[in-house]
Amino acid sequence: MSERPTAQELCEAILEFLGGEILPTLTDHRLRFRTLVAMNALGIVYRELAALPVEDDAELRELAAKIRAGDVPAGTLDRVKADVEARLRVASPQFLETYR
Amino acid sequence: MGLSELFGREVEVTEPVLLAGGASKEAWAVDADGEKLIVRRAAATVMHHHTLTLAHEFAVIEAAYAAGVKAPKPYGYLPDVAGREAFAMARLEGDTIGRRIVRKEELAGARELLPVQLAEELAKIHSIPGDALPFLPESSIDRMVAELDEVGEPHPAIELGLWWLRENRPPLRPPVVNHGDYRIGNVVVGPQGLVGVLDWEFVHLDDPVRDLAFGMVRAWRFGAVEKRFGGVGDAAPFVERYNELTGRDVRPEELDYWELAGNVAWAVGCLTQAQRHLSGLDRSVELATLGRLGAEVEYEICHLLEKVGAS
Repeated sequence: MSERPTAQELCEAILEFLGGEILPTLTDHRLRFRTLVAMNALGIVYRELAALPVEDDAELRELAAKIRAGDVPAGTLDRVKADVEARLRVASPQFLETYR
Repeated sequence: MGLSELFGREVEVTEPVLLAGGASKEAWAVDADGEKLIVRRAAATVMHHHTLTLAHEFAVIEAAYAAGVKAPKPYGYLPDVAGREAFAMARLEGDTIGRRIVRKEELAGARELLPVQLAEELAKIHSIPGDALPFLPESSIDRMVAELDEVGEPHPAIELGLWWLRENRPPLRPPVVNHGDYRIGNVVVGPQGLVGVLDWEFVHLDDPVRDLAFGMVRAWRFGAVEKRFGGVGDAAPFVERYNELTGRDVRPEELDYWELAGNVAWAVGCLTQAQRHLSGLDRSVELATLGRLGAEVEYEICHLLEKVGAS
């Protein structure tokens, strides 16, 4: 999936939040240390994600362009919905439960 | 901060408390001689270009207040508050957090009252004379398409929603002054129900049913999904009261159409909010996450398209 923000961009946002907004408020030494360790761990995830190949979104772009052009054959909705559902299983699995 | 000039006398002003800061506008709580105020001030960065300027937003609130709408009382436009433009309005007391309004035990009575109260307020908003506000933009499906193209990501579910909206457009109603973001979360609620209507920066000219259906968008039911009207009640009493007051006779299929349009608008909105983060304009985990939570709105678009029997 080529979704934005990418997993790496989300890591980056959390790192900025922890470093810019949380860390400066921490006075407890132990908590400061553990937060720095957590940021370091997140940095590892960030760099590991950077090494992954960028996913190809050509197929998705093609589908979006076809629908834009009014080319909507039967079965399009089923396909689109299945794609969205797959993304939701990652982004917000509990949300799908509200449709049961 | 210029409030003494506004009141025409020396007023005692408390230390301002920043309530919300964003890419385009800040909101400060301040008391002037005991009067509770909100000062909305331009932020340091560039404006979000699909919202009204501060001066225009203030003019809209003045027009709404003059029309008898429960908008915060406008106190005055302040061209220079520490180098930026701002305006002052009354600070209303009550709940604005959607999750609290749909759940809080003490607001059960308010939830009973809200559908009819919000219909009455919307009827008043839709009677505000638009020619006194010549700067108001007109909205259209094309504008949603333009905003989506600015994001530049492929989103077939949003495209499908836009396609259906183009193909199934109900007969146009004459445009009226639309609030543009009329929903639970943007109104102040107390034990007696509606206290006031906030968030006037998306006001534009549009089909009246757009405003009527926007509060039905699933995201604005705050988890109480079975209550179509903003998680507080059924749509029927709201629409019936609105029809009674305006004589517009809004049909159920128009509501369905504009509910879908509201979802498409919010799906695009999630992406543009995430862009504020990604572009560096307004770095925030909250905005970043919205980019992914837009999938919830896209799922609802698919769900609604299934209900209307689309392809």
